[in-house]
Amino acid sequence: MSLLEIKDLTKSFFGAHALRGASFNAEQGCITGLIGPNGAGKTTLFNVVSGVMRADGGTVLFDGRNITNLRPDEITRAGLMRTFQIARGFPRLTVLENLMLYAPGNPGETLVGAIWRGSDARASEAAIREEALRVAKRLDLTRVIDNYASDLSGGQKKLLEIGRAIMAKPKMILLDEPAAGVNPSLTRIIAGHIRELAQEGTSFLIIEHDMMLVRELCDPVIVMAEGRDFVAGSFAEVTADARVQEAYLGKRRWS
Amino acid sequence: MDSYLIAMVTLAAIYAMMAISLNLSWGLAGMVNLGLAGFISIGAYASGLLTTVLGWPVPLAILAAMIIGLVSGVALTYVTLRLRDDYLAIVTLGFAEVIRLAIVNELWLTHGSDGISGIPGIVAREYGYGFELGTLALALAAVALCYWLADRVRTSPYGRNLRAIRDDPEGTAVAGKNVTLIKVKTFGLSTAIAALAGAFYAHYTSFISPEIFQPLLTMYVFLALTMGGTGNNRGAMLGAFLLIFVLEASRFIAPSLPQFSAVQHAAIREMLVAVLFILTLLYRPQGISPETRHR
Amino acid sequence: MIETILQLAANGIMSGAVLAVAAIGFTMMFAVLRFPNFSLAGHMAGGAYAGWIANTMFGLPLPLALLCGFLVAGGIGVASDFIVLRPLRRAAPITLAIASVAISLFIENALRFGFGNDLRSFDLPLARDWVIGWLRLGPQQVQNAGLAIVAMLILFVIFTFTQTGRAMRATADNAGLAAVKGIDTEKITRLVSFLGMGLAGAAGVLLGADTSIEPLLGLKVILSVFAAAVLGGLGSIPGAVLGAFAIGIVEEASQIVVPATYKGAVGFVAILLVLSFRPSGFLGRRQT
Repeated sequence: MSLLEIKDLTKSFFGAHALRGASFNAEQGCITGLIGPNGAGKTTLFNVVSGVMRADGGTVLFDGRNITNLRPDEITRAGLMRTFQIARGFPRLTVLENLMLYAPGNPGETLVGAIWRGSDARASEAAIREEALRVAKRLDLTRVIDNYASDLSGGQKKLLEIGRAIMAKPKMILLDEPAAGVNPSLTRIIAGHIRELAQEGTSFLIIEHDMMLVRELCDPVIVMAEGRDFVAGSFAEVTADARVQEAYLGKRRWS
Repeated sequence: MDSYLIAMVTLAAIYAMMAISLNLSWGLAGMVNLGLAGFISIGAYASGLLTTVLGWPVPLAILAAMIIGLVSGVALTYVTLRLRDDYLAIVTLGFAEVIRLAIVNELWLTHGSDGISGIPGIVAREYGYGFELGTLALALAAVALCYWLADRVRTSPYGRNLRAIRDDPEGTAVAGKNVTLIKVKTFGLSTAIAALAGAFYAHYTSFISPEIFQPLLTMYVFLALTMGGTGNNRGAMLGAFLLIFVLEASRFIAPSLPQFSAVQHAAIREMLVAVLFILTLLYRPQGISPETRHR
Repeated sequence: MIETILQLAANGIMSGAVLAVAAIGFTMMFAVLRFPNFSLAGHMAGGAYAGWIANTMFGLPLPLALLCGFLVAGGIGVASDFIVLRPLRRAAPITLAIASVAISLFIENALRFGFGNDLRSFDLPLARDWVIGWLRLGPQQVQNAGLAIVAMLILFVIFTFTQTGRAMRATADNAGLAAVKGIDTEKITRLVSFLGMGLAGAAGVLLGADTSIEPLLGLKVILSVFAAAVLGGLGSIPGAVLGAFAIGIVEEASQIVVPATYKGAVGFVAILLVLSFRPSGFLGRRQT
């Protein structure tokens, strides 16, 4: 059984088909890459899998459980976390609050818990704060811990996006272009974090256009075009595939 | 203490409850409520009717008013959950108007625009000065309780979720929070406090009529919160006192402009309120006591 | 029964035509400015008083009084946009909406200061109702509906055939793109404020000619206007017209089942139903 199983996923917007039966699996313990030309439906796939958009058809199984069309918060709590391509953060929360927000199962989060503040609520909040400080340190965000997220640089926002995902302690993270708009040295740092997290047991499914990064991190790599997956294999295999080259060139020689 | 001063502080305390209510939904969670006056009138009429018609004891009637306020708030949020902010503004405004229409038209229950008079005080009115001081003390205690509740909410993980929803509801859902449930609970708490303020008003002044709960009242509370500092419960209270000060100070316009009629004096006052609101939005949108960074 | 229904439908169409004028103003401002402008209520009243002065003090006939109401309300609209809303352009839409409530409060009280709370009537010839079979039509209502339709036709011509009209539509579709194409969006915003609030003022005159005017004239019908715009899909002009006729008819028809005093609640119920089942309205554009 794979950790994430996507079967015949379809989604269209007012007649335009964004997903036409995408079906693939992402395995436990792997960093699976998801590549394909612009408009292939990769981000739509993330939106549907994470519950931000409703699927028209098809199923998504996660950890053996059918999570198709559950609410985003239910999917996150099931252990599948996604990030956004444009790291948006919560502009008027500080970095520390942004991180703490993602911690699951905090008893102080209920209205009664907020007012009553029993010892368990206080203890868990303190533990979450410690955890958030640790994550911030790991991602080199300690200096800006009390800054509003809106005041961060683009690169820091990308790191915060990863940090927030870690705070949720998910089984799998869907990363939407973690290296987009990031300078080469920060790309190296981000790649290092992803590899470390994978070694600690987190599985990844990554959309990325930076082919150097995909080659370095991802195995297997799944290629999408026109709303469905059509090639899967190691990076070397898929890039050698004529159909993939053709999809990226964007025109068909025979049809 | 001077009776006039007592009356003003009592009134300011009632406005402070309204401002705290608005701060919970609008200030912290970003849920606009242009129908606040409707929820305040629900509380006032519920408590006023329960005591005058059914003869309930005042404390029990106030509690019931809060529960009715909570239920109506929860019901309205449930219907409007999927709405964008601008639609929510229109729907809440419409809700207050429907409540006002019902009060004006259901004569058998509300006596229409004649209003309800003879509503008993929280402290018996026969005590005179004791009634005034006692009501003041209770109003201040109620504000203190509302403030304590609202600030517990603000500084808790729950409040962090609220401020996250204010910034980005979809992102908050992805963070694993049940945004719908949080919104419903918060709006319900907020409207329960609005109903409490309405009930307090009814028992304090002994008379309520639909005239009192015009959209203008909602505007006053928005002005109080904006002047004080949206997102900050202390700012909400400060703004309520400031509002009463401004409204009272504007009474001195009348004697200095004797050539105008009473209607014209009232009009000048409302124009001043409008101008003050606009100036606040333009030059000090964060208010006098702005929301502080959470550490 | 069938006579009653047809009579109510006829009344609904006539009041719907007047509502449509205000609803077009509201929805076109929403399309360009992206927030619900509550000060429409105050501008309606402002226009109504301008028309009333033109009619009762200067003896102008209704069509000219209507033009006066249009111009004055449009002028107030440009002024309030310039003084209050322009500096807030970058603020959240809801902040602008709240500021617009304050604008309305100011205009209404300025009118109250000048004219008091009394109801005022236009100086119009009284005429017997026209009776066609069992249908009764008030000549004044018919004239009002006719003027409303003429105003809408003029607007249609402006939007369809003039350079400026096309620029306004382009800005409504995509302000960013319009700016790139060299359209001066700030100028368009001013123009839209003038036209939108002018239409509100014209609707105010027509409402006043139907019954009477007072400072809160606009506030009393604003829910119906919003309902019309929401029903048709916020930002869609044909939608607003369609929605206004629907609201006009439903408001009249509601009198069969609920007391006439609850007419004001119809708009609210309509808004709730539409938003629950089809949030983008009849002709609403797809949300992205």
